[in-house]
Amino acid sequence: MEIKNNKNIHSIYAENQLTIGLPNAMLYKRYETLWENFFMALGANIIVSEPTNKEIIHSGTEAAIDETCLSAKIYLGHVHSLIRKCDYILVPRISNWALNRHMCSRFKSQYDLVCNIFRGSGQKFISYDLDEARNLTEEKAFLNMGLELGFPKKLIKEAYKKAKKQETADWKYRLKSQEQLYKSEGLKVIIAAHSYVIEDEYFGKPVTDYLKELDVIPLRADITDRKEALKQSLKISKTLVWEFNREILGSLHMHREHVDGIILISAFPCGPDSMVNDIIARKFSELPVLNLVLDSQSGTAGMETRLESFVDILKFKKGIL
Amino acid sequence: MDKKKVAFPLFSHYNIFIKYFVEKALDAEYIMQPQMTRRTIDIGSRYSPDYVCTPFKITLGSMIEALEAGADTIIMSPGPCRLGYYGELQEMILKELGYEFDFVNFSEYYTGYIKDMIKAMRRINPKASVPKITKTLAESAKIIMRLDEIEADYYKNCGFEINHGEYKKNWTKFLLAVETAENMRDVETAYKNAKKKFAAISISKPKNPIKVGIVGEYYTAVDSFANLDLAQKIADMGVEVHRWMNVTNRNLRYRGKNLRVDIKDYCKYEMGPTSTANIWSARYYASHGFDGIIHAKSAGCTPEIDIMPTLQNISADYKIPILYLTYDSQTSDTGLDTRLEAFYDMISAPSMHAKIHTRKISSK
Repeated sequence: MEIKNNKNIHSIYAENQLTIGLPNAMLYKRYETLWENFFMALGANIIVSEPTNKEIIHSGTEAAIDETCLSAKIYLGHVHSLIRKCDYILVPRISNWALNRHMCSRFKSQYDLVCNIFRGSGQKFISYDLDEARNLTEEKAFLNMGLELGFPKKLIKEAYKKAKKQETADWKYRLKSQEQLYKSEGLKVIIAAHSYVIEDEYFGKPVTDYLKELDVIPLRADITDRKEALKQSLKISKTLVWEFNREILGSLHMHREHVDGIILISAFPCGPDSMVNDIIARKFSELPVLNLVLDSQSGTAGMETRLESFVDILKFKKGIL
Repeated sequence: MDKKKVAFPLFSHYNIFIKYFVEKALDAEYIMQPQMTRRTIDIGSRYSPDYVCTPFKITLGSMIEALEAGADTIIMSPGPCRLGYYGELQEMILKELGYEFDFVNFSEYYTGYIKDMIKAMRRINPKASVPKITKTLAESAKIIMRLDEIEADYYKNCGFEINHGEYKKNWTKFLLAVETAENMRDVETAYKNAKKKFAAISISKPKNPIKVGIVGEYYTAVDSFANLDLAQKIADMGVEVHRWMNVTNRNLRYRGKNLRVDIKDYCKYEMGPTSTANIWSARYYASHGFDGIIHAKSAGCTPEIDIMPTLQNISADYKIPILYLTYDSQTSDTGLDTRLEAFYDMISAPSMHAKIHTRKISSK
């Protein structure tokens, strides 16, 4: 468990300094910088759960309804590991940025879901409600959350601004290094997966690691110019509304000429992916596509065999086998 | 110009109002495909993605059967969950299979503006007039309310009829009368007739009948084909069956924010398209002397999976049994019968049923 003690404590909050727990799964992978910097600037301590391990998957699976997707099960495991280790655990409720920019309904229910599952634990949860169709922008949502925690308005606004600035800078850097990779020599495979799937230590990371062992350059569709990707996604699919899937789809379209193949990784049974993967297979028929659906049973051997044979196909196609 | 032959995948009794709307407002022909059968699911599943939710497969099958019945235009609704994305993928699948037709996907026109919806309708009839559309929409809403009202009445009482089959006969007659209605006067006559006929049926209902409330995913909880006639099956055991979920309540009269007032100790936000409605109705049934609740959903329905922990809490707080049913394309009649019988045996046991009245008072 990683504890980030805040050294820049505002004197007025020093005596009852808050500790905020951040589950190291799902949206944390996207908002890590924003969340950490925001709470740090408010003078709170942060505690981040450990990278996914067997125990986390186990406790998450215990807590979840059977049919829940693997990512949500893992998330619940992370929440479970933070219980009674902090004042509040952050579980945001993110709904949409516009009519055609929605989140999967699991992110709309996440806060209430967590509260219901862990209601007997005595743990307090804090949320922010991002719902631009109802005029709740990210800035407003953060302000409301800060006020709920008892911070003064001015401090919250400054903290958000600072955190947002840091987030933008971080993202720019990551984007730049990702774009560099497209220019490198070698067999290039673009991975289409939600950030929280591909970055998960337990089941997404092994895929990228193994690809590197096979001398393949794994590229990530989710690290892309998001604004442009949203625009491009409409060329492939007109009625797709899930923000993350739109980013990935648009990014695939933007890079389709610079890669040798596509690997789709989904957490079983991801709702949006159950349909979007089919669209991708149809609309990118010029590229070989490997569809990996992972569940908690996956040993790595089966995955490795499939990756090897897929890479063989790519090499054969390129004439280097 | 030839009239377009329009169809919509079957959904409970709602194709009746779509037929009325298409014929009256758009002056097109409406094609009613045959009732769904095992084949509908089989053919739909064959061409659907593996782990997509079941209504996708059923509606795809129903679209194929509509095309076989002569439709040349299929309309598909927008929706707040995966439903909103059904159309695009279904169109792609059908066209790949070689079917030739025009697909009017309302998701493409779902911008929040009425004028874009009118655009979609004008693809069916370029001359469709706006006043006529508005007028027919209001009439269609009326038809929906009439159908839903009679249906609710039906499931509350059909399990107690003395002469077996009387309710069914009159319900079928009513549906046929509305389906063939030329105008709103016909609809009203049919509605009044049905009310009168229902009231005349002799029933033997105990003072405190066993009551069950059905909640769940929109398509599966409502459509009797998709849920293997769940409401009828449980009613036939001598149960008063309630189901809040229908188009009248969830669409025409829906005020989610106001429903959330009464369930704020269970949830703070709108968790999904039907979550508020289902949590609210489950809580209502739990606190109004019902013996049990049945939660019906298709396999993989994300919003419904996510309210299950809340339902479990309601079940614990009010000590009310909840039966969770998940339907996939394999679900069999016999399996369902066994589970329903076991559920009925539990809730009808004197030790359970007699407790209801004390529970009503002691619950929070």
